[in-house]
Amino acid sequence: MTTWEGLLYGIGFALQPEVLVYCLLGVVLGTFVGVLPGIGAMAAISLLLPVTYYITPEAALIMLAGVYYGAQYGGAVASILMRLPGTPQSAVTTLDGYPMAQQGRAGVALFAAMASSFAGSVIGIVVLVVLAGWLSRAAVAFGAADYAAMMILGLVAASTIGTARPAKGFAMVVLGLLLGCVGTDVNSGVQRFTFGQTELLDGINLVALAMGLFGVAEVIANVRDPERQSLSERIGLRRLMPTRDDLRRMGWPTLRGSALGAFFGALPGTGSTLSSFLSYAMERRVARQPERFGNGAIEGIAGPEAANNSASITAFVPTLTLGIPGDPIMALMLGALVIHGIQPGPLMLEARPEMFWGLVASFGIGNLILLVLNLPLIGIWVAMLRIPFRWLYPAILVFLCLGVYSVRGLSYDIAAVALIGLAGYLLALARFSPALLLLGFVLGPLIETNLRRALLISRGDPMVFLERPIAAGFVLATAALLLLSLWQAWHRRASRRG
Amino acid sequence: MSINLIRSVALGLAVASVAIPASAQDTWPTGPVHVYVGFPAGSSPDTLARIITDPLAQRLGQPIVVENRPGAGGVIGIQQMLAAAGDGHTFGTTINGPMTTAQRMMDDTGYDVSTDILPVTLIATSPLVLAVSSASEITDVAGFIAAAGAEPQAIAYGSVGQGSGAHLTAELFAAEAGVEMLHVPFTSYAEVTTSIMGGEIDAGFMAPSAALPHVQGGNMRMLGITSSEPFPQAPDVPVLAGQAGLPADFRAELWNAFIAPAGTDPAVVERLNTEINDILSDPAVQEQLLAIGWNAAPGTPGDLAERIVVDTAMWGAVIDRVQAQQ
Repeated sequence: MTTWEGLLYGIGFALQPEVLVYCLLGVVLGTFVGVLPGIGAMAAISLLLPVTYYITPEAALIMLAGVYYGAQYGGAVASILMRLPGTPQSAVTTLDGYPMAQQGRAGVALFAAMASSFAGSVIGIVVLVVLAGWLSRAAVAFGAADYAAMMILGLVAASTIGTARPAKGFAMVVLGLLLGCVGTDVNSGVQRFTFGQTELLDGINLVALAMGLFGVAEVIANVRDPERQSLSERIGLRRLMPTRDDLRRMGWPTLRGSALGAFFGALPGTGSTLSSFLSYAMERRVARQPERFGNGAIEGIAGPEAANNSASITAFVPTLTLGIPGDPIMALMLGALVIHGIQPGPLMLEARPEMFWGLVASFGIGNLILLVLNLPLIGIWVAMLRIPFRWLYPAILVFLCLGVYSVRGLSYDIAAVALIGLAGYLLALARFSPALLLLGFVLGPLIETNLRRALLISRGDPMVFLERPIAAGFVLATAALLLLSLWQAWHRRASRRG
Repeated sequence: MSINLIRSVALGLAVASVAIPASAQDTWPTGPVHVYVGFPAGSSPDTLARIITDPLAQRLGQPIVVENRPGAGGVIGIQQMLAAAGDGHTFGTTINGPMTTAQRMMDDTGYDVSTDILPVTLIATSPLVLAVSSASEITDVAGFIAAAGAEPQAIAYGSVGQGSGAHLTAELFAAEAGVEMLHVPFTSYAEVTTSIMGGEIDAGFMAPSAALPHVQGGNMRMLGITSSEPFPQAPDVPVLAGQAGLPADFRAELWNAFIAPAGTDPAVVERLNTEINDILSDPAVQEQLLAIGWNAAPGTPGDLAERIVVDTAMWGAVIDRVQAQQ
């Protein structure tokens, strides 16, 4: 089957009424779990799993995939309106989305998020169809040394976003790295900072950390500060549509974010969180007025939202072409296929072309549904801010606890989210950026594990980071970035003196 | 699924119509039964549990709620089962790790296998296969042992974590073959597979269901299997025992079992054992288990108790050796 035949066949398949209904169901559910803070695609897919026993495997996969990428759309909503990232990936969107909402431009910010999400997905689909073979080879070619070097570049590039004071940003990244050390060390099996608590053996729950730092902390801040409560009433339905200037500013960031996301999404294990952080860092670096970032720059929404949606599409590349799930949610979806007696693997494509092309076509249809669904919803989401805070915040806390509990079913994590929330509030009072803490937390364990794994495999020879071409490329790029930053700092100081 | 359902219902009715001796099990179960699983929904241990609990619910005439409590290699599932115990309706399924080796890998699991847990029955066992990249020059176990013996750490192998079945099996193999290999821990077979295919590491002991698709896809080769009989899903893969100087009784299997908290009514344990053994004798169930890499292995509670003791000693010796090397 050629690509065109495959696509046509897939579109025909995905447009069958029965399949279409499951696609619609998936993306609608995805949007809602994305909007609800803490409840993510993982929880929704786990719940849907028993349902999939009774439908065809193709329809099951299309529905579960819809939840997966649909959640990326919804994630931006609460980030922008209430600084509550619906998913960890959309934490970056709070940086400029929330300031925009505060300026009365919530509708525009939501439009930017939806439009760039759609554009990112479309680009992701094109990349998936055209470059799937190349990307899957790249995914296999990436070794531990390459991952370590790439993540270090990501950490260096993104470690100053979301804060005006580099020292404070750096402190948060380091705190995030330290928190990432909690749990069983993959390489040695040693339990670090677990204090004898089994619940900490797999590390601090990412959802509990993200929801505590952002969600609970924000609720406390709002309860304490009546000024902020009245602020939300100022935000009206006015100016839902972006200006021509807004649209112009969104173009390139969306394209760059999509490209970044498409690449990182295809690498197993890195996923969309990294790509949205990197996209934000990149936009701030190439911007003519970087000081606008953090104060409601529309580029800071368009880039990361395009990136995480694009990544959520190409994340299917290793899953579909190699049969290797890139993250736990993908593994869960493959589990759904196994129940139907389909063994995911490199041969699945040949054995069941209808599954691959049907899924790819459903991505396009699903994203179209998401766009059509979400644009009219913008007005409703914005109107949500008119709900009195005494109703809104308790409801948010309930959903948040539900979401955190849904990850592992442990009440331990609910206590953890409360504690983290308190710490997050104190950090916010001192104007530390929680986004950077999250970045350090996500990247830290990945860098450490891959760095030590690379040295283990090279039998202790550090030259492995320069001998492997991919790793060497990232090391050089990191060095160049550091030199550039030093030069810029020196230049600024010199010009101030002159 | 629906044929299974009908069959289960029919079996359930048949069982119900047979007179059951009057005792505690006359009234049990009086409400929904909870089965704790220490792994997330959709994982292999979870799928296995659901293959058993679906027909079991039909036979017991009460719904069974599978409670996924993932974490710490399955230990959290057992902890949570024990915390919820006391109503006579709380049980669990577990892999071998939390019952045999976890005590050696963790400071405190919070339970004592011999006093806090009642064995109900073994459900299934799974061998591991020794897999290499299809680009590798090694084509059989003898060649593998020769390559590994060329110098210490000549071969790097991947596992799914320190103290995992994949790790300990490889170390048992290394000790029996008299070689020393470099252990590279990963967290999933997906990562191990990628690393083998990328040529970064040389080999790995893997679950057959994780390796088979890549063997069929032409990216991997299986050199041997750790069970004492060939595995039905991969009948061509030779048994490792007795090959290339390995002892004739070489055997390493992972298993999955149904357990109850201590204090559970013995009659209830007996009833569960009978029902699950009956379910496992259904060829359709056996087929479902094989499809996810498990071989049905019914038995008595005593069989499971013995397996726990034997495996704890066997893996304990391997852990002693690994820790002595470090």
